[in-house]
Amino acid sequence: MTKHIKKVSGLSRREVLVGSAAGAGLVIGYSVLPNAVDSASKAIAAGNWDHQQFLSMDADGKATVHVTKCEIGQHVGTALAQAVAEELEIDWNDVRVNYPESHAKWGLHITGGSWSVNWTFDRNSRIGASARIALIEAGSKMMKAMPANCYAKNSRVYTADGSKSVSYKEILSSNTIDRTFSEEEMKSIKLKSFGEYSIVGQSKQPLDLPAKLDGSAKYGIDVFVPNMVYAIPIQNPTRYGAIPKAVDESAAKKIDGYVGAYVNKEGFTRVNTGYVVAIGETYWAAEKAAKALKIDWDLGENKNISSDDIRDESIRLQKDPNAGFLWVLEGDTDKGMKNAANKHTAVYETAIAYHGCLEPMNGVAYEKDGIMHIHSGHQSFTFAVGNTAAALGVEQDKIVCHQYYAGGGFGRRTEPDLHVLVAQTCKHVGRPVKLIFSREQDMMFDFHRSPTYQVIEGGEEFGRMTAMNHDVVAGWSTKRAAPGFMPDSVDKKGKVDQFSTNGSDHWYDIPNHKVRSINNELSDRALPVGFLRAVAPSWTFWAVESYLDEMAKKAGRDPLAFRLDHLTAAGKNAGTPPNSVGGAHRLRNALLVAAGRAGYGVKPLGKNEGMGMACVSSQERGSPTWTACVAEVKVDPNSGEVEVKKITVSMDVGTAVNPDGVRKQIEGSALYGISLALYENLTMKNGSIEQGNFDTWTPMRLNQVPEIETVLIQNGHYPAGTGEPATTVVAPAIANAIDNAVGARVRSLPITPEKIKSAMREA
Amino acid sequence: MNLSVNGSNQVVDAPGDTKLLWVIREHLRLTGTKFGCGLGLCGACTVHMNGEAVRSCQIELSDAEGTQITTIEGLGANGHHPVQKAWAEIEVPQCGYCQSGQMMNAAAFLNSNSAPSEKEIVDAQQGNICRCITYNRIKTAIKRASEIMQGA
Ligand code: FES
Ligand code: FES
Repeated sequence: MTKHIKKVSGLSRREVLVGSAAGAGLVIGYSVLPNAVDSASKAIAAGNWDHQQFLSMDADGKATVHVTKCEIGQHVGTALAQAVAEELEIDWNDVRVNYPESHAKWGLHITGGSWSVNWTFDRNSRIGASARIALIEAGSKMMKAMPANCYAKNSRVYTADGSKSVSYKEILSSNTIDRTFSEEEMKSIKLKSFGEYSIVGQSKQPLDLPAKLDGSAKYGIDVFVPNMVYAIPIQNPTRYGAIPKAVDESAAKKIDGYVGAYVNKEGFTRVNTGYVVAIGETYWAAEKAAKALKIDWDLGENKNISSDDIRDESIRLQKDPNAGFLWVLEGDTDKGMKNAANKHTAVYETAIAYHGCLEPMNGVAYEKDGIMHIHSGHQSFTFAVGNTAAALGVEQDKIVCHQYYAGGGFGRRTEPDLHVLVAQTCKHVGRPVKLIFSREQDMMFDFHRSPTYQVIEGGEEFGRMTAMNHDVVAGWSTKRAAPGFMPDSVDKKGKVDQFSTNGSDHWYDIPNHKVRSINNELSDRALPVGFLRAVAPSWTFWAVESYLDEMAKKAGRDPLAFRLDHLTAAGKNAGTPPNSVGGAHRLRNALLVAAGRAGYGVKPLGKNEGMGMACVSSQERGSPTWTACVAEVKVDPNSGEVEVKKITVSMDVGTAVNPDGVRKQIEGSALYGISLALYENLTMKNGSIEQGNFDTWTPMRLNQVPEIETVLIQNGHYPAGTGEPATTVVAPAIANAIDNAVGARVRSLPITPEKIKSAMREA
Repeated sequence: MNLSVNGSNQVVDAPGDTKLLWVIREHLRLTGTKFGCGLGLCGACTVHMNGEAVRSCQIELSDAEGTQITTIEGLGANGHHPVQKAWAEIEVPQCGYCQSGQMMNAAAFLNSNSAPSEKEIVDAQQGNICRCITYNRIKTAIKRASEIMQGA
C-alpha cells in the first residue's frame, strides 16, 4: 500500500513543527506550510494548519502520543508510544496515548496487514527525537549552556557534566518553544540503534490493561447518548443480493416501545442490495420488533448458491487455461517439468471462514450541527468515512468517526458496512441510534474469508525442485473493497488481487516458477469476501508448505533438509533493506531455531505421534516476518481425532519493541490459526450461511489449547509485524505432523476426524 | 422491579422478560458486562447472582428480582480482587472484551474451590470463549489467583 503521508509539491513545504500553543505545552507534528508562514507557534496558534499532530506535551511535562490505529487486542498504542518515548527521553510514567477522531489530514487510516509498527516505528522515533531536540535547546538556554553540551534523560535536560539539570515540566511551563524541522533535517536526525534502547525492547505493561480489568474500558457497544434508540437489522434470507419488497409492521406496532423500521430497497454495495432495520426505544423492544416485522423478500440472484457451487466454479476456472493472470513468472516451468525425475500434483482447499470478533458489529450515530458523528471501534476510518459520505450523499468532512477499543478486529472492522447502516438509520429516524448485530447477524453478514482452491504441480531432481506451477483460485476481496490497490500482473495483461495471492511468491529457490491467480466471481458475489487475519498467506502457505513436505517425501529427503536446500538467499531471494534484509537466510535461521527448540528428529515420540514443520514469510514479500513452526500431534487412528500436543513457533522480528506484547501476538495468532485449521467450518446453502451461533460454529475453547512455546529472534533489523504471520504457519505444520504420525495427508481445511480417516484409508 | 446490584438497591422500570444483561448495561449503565452471543454460549455476560456465576443474557429480570447481583464493577474494591490482581500480573487481556466474563466466572469458581487442579480449571472455564485465544494465560492467571487467595 502507499505511504500514508501526502506528498506535497509546489509552493508549500512539509515540515515538522515543534511549538507551544498558547504559551504552554508543546505540540509536535507534520504540517504542510505555505512558504510565507515562518513560525511554528504562529502556525499552531492560527490553528488551521493542515497537520498531523502525533505528539503533544502539557505544561506538566506529560506526553500524549496520538495513535491513528485501533486497539483490537494488539496493544498497538503502547508499542507506538514506546518508539516516541525512547527518543523523547521521557519518563515512561509520563506517557499517555489517545486515539484521535477521523480527519482527512491523517491520510490513509488503516489498522491491518501487520503494518502498524512496521510502518510507523521510524516516524514515531523521529517525532520523539525532534521534540527532545527542541526541549534540549530550550533547557540549555535556561542553564546558560550550549545545546550541543547538553543531553536529555528521564524527563530532564542535563549539562554535559551532569552538574545542572532542568525538568521538562520546568522547561515547558516557562518557555515558548518555536522550532521547525525540514524534511531533510528530520531525516538526518541520528536515531538510537539496537542495543542502545532503554524503553524500546522493554515489556512495558500495556497502557490499555488497567481499564480492561475493572470493566471501565469503553468499546463501541458501551456508548450512550441522550435520546438514543436501539436498532437491530433483520436477518436477510441470503447473505447478499436480496431486496425487501414489502414490510408488514402490524405485529411490531403492538410492541411497547416500537419506534419503526428503516427499509432500504436500493442497497449500498458495501452493505447489501437491500435491508430492513428494526428500531425500538430499548434493546428489548428492538429485538422483539426484529422478530415481529414480516418482510416479503425478493431473494435475488444468489438464492440457490451453495458452497459446492462455489467449489465447482473454482474447479472449472482452474481447468481453463485462459482464466486468471500471472503473479509470478520465473524461467520456464514446462521445461523444468520435463527434466524432473519426480513429479507431483496436489489440490489444496480451504473452507469459508468467519472473523468471529467477540464484540459483535455495532455503532452509535447522531447528528450535530450538520455533522454525522459515528462512535465505534474501527480499523479503517478511511473506508468508514468515504463510504458513509457516499451513502448519505454528503461531503466527507460531514462525517466524523470516533475511536474506541474494539472487541476483536481480525480485519472485519476494516469494513464500512456498520457505519453506513447506523448513519442511514439515524438519518431515517432523526434521533441518535445504537445499532447492534446479533451474533447470528454477525456470522451471516460477515465479509468472510473466501473458500479457496489451489493446485500445485511440481518437479524435482537430485533433491532440488526443478519447477513449480501454482494456481490460486479465490474470491478477490481487494477488487470489491479497494480496486485501486490491485497491481498489474507480471505480463501486464490484467490486474491481480495481491491480497488474495501473497505468499505464493515464496522465498524458495526454484528456477522455474509460475503462479496464476484466478478470481472466483461467484465467491465475490455470494459471500462477498473480505480480509480475514493474515488474508492470502493463510491459504497460499497452506498449499506451498504442505506441498514441500509431500515433495520431500517423494524425493526421499527429510522435509527439514529439503527446505534448507531451497533457502539459499540467492538472486531475488537475497532480500532488500530495511524490511527483507537478509532474505531467505533469515527464514532458514527461523526454521532451524524452531526445529532445534522443538527437538525435531531427536525428541522420542510415541505411537501415532508425529512432528511436522512449516515456515513462512507472511505477510508480503515487501514486509516479511520470518516465521517457522513445529507442531507435535497425536492422532487416534480409530476416531481420527487429532490432539495438538505442542507447537513451537519461532519468529525473526528484527527488533521487538515490546517483547511480551510480541509474544502475546504470536500466541494469539498461532492459536487463531489452529482454531481455523481444526475447529471452524462455515458452509453456504441457498445463498445463506448455514451456521448461526457458537453452537454450530465452534471456535477453539479452553480445553483444546495446546502447549505453546514461542521463540523471538532479534538481530536489530527493522521491527516486523507480528499479529498475523503465526496464523499462517500452524495449519501446514499440523497437516505435515499428522502425515508423519499416521500417514494421512489431509489437503483441505478444516482438518476434521472424517478427513483424517478417509486419508488414512487412501494411504 | 427491585434488585440489588453491587450492594446498592436499584429500582428498574422494564418488562419482566427483559434479559438481565440489558438491564445491567442499558438501564444501570454498567457496561463492563458484555454481550457476545445472547444464547448462553460464550460467557461474555457472566455476573454473580447470589454468589453464583450466571449468564445474564439467559436470566429474565423477573427471575432476578430480590437477588444480589455482582458485576465486574463490583467484584473487588478498586479492582483489587485476587482474580483481577492475577489477571494484571499475567497480563491476560488482549482485546479485553471477554475478560470481564472470564474473571467473573473464575472468581465464582475459585470461591467454591480455592485450590483447583488443572482439570478442574479447564472444566470450569471452558464455557467462556476468548476469541483472542488468551486461554493459556487465563489458566495461568487462575492458578495465580488461587495462590493469592491462599496468601502467597
Ligand atoms: S452473551 Fe451471554 S453467554 Fe454469550
Ligand atoms: S481478550 Fe479478546 S476475546 Fe478474550
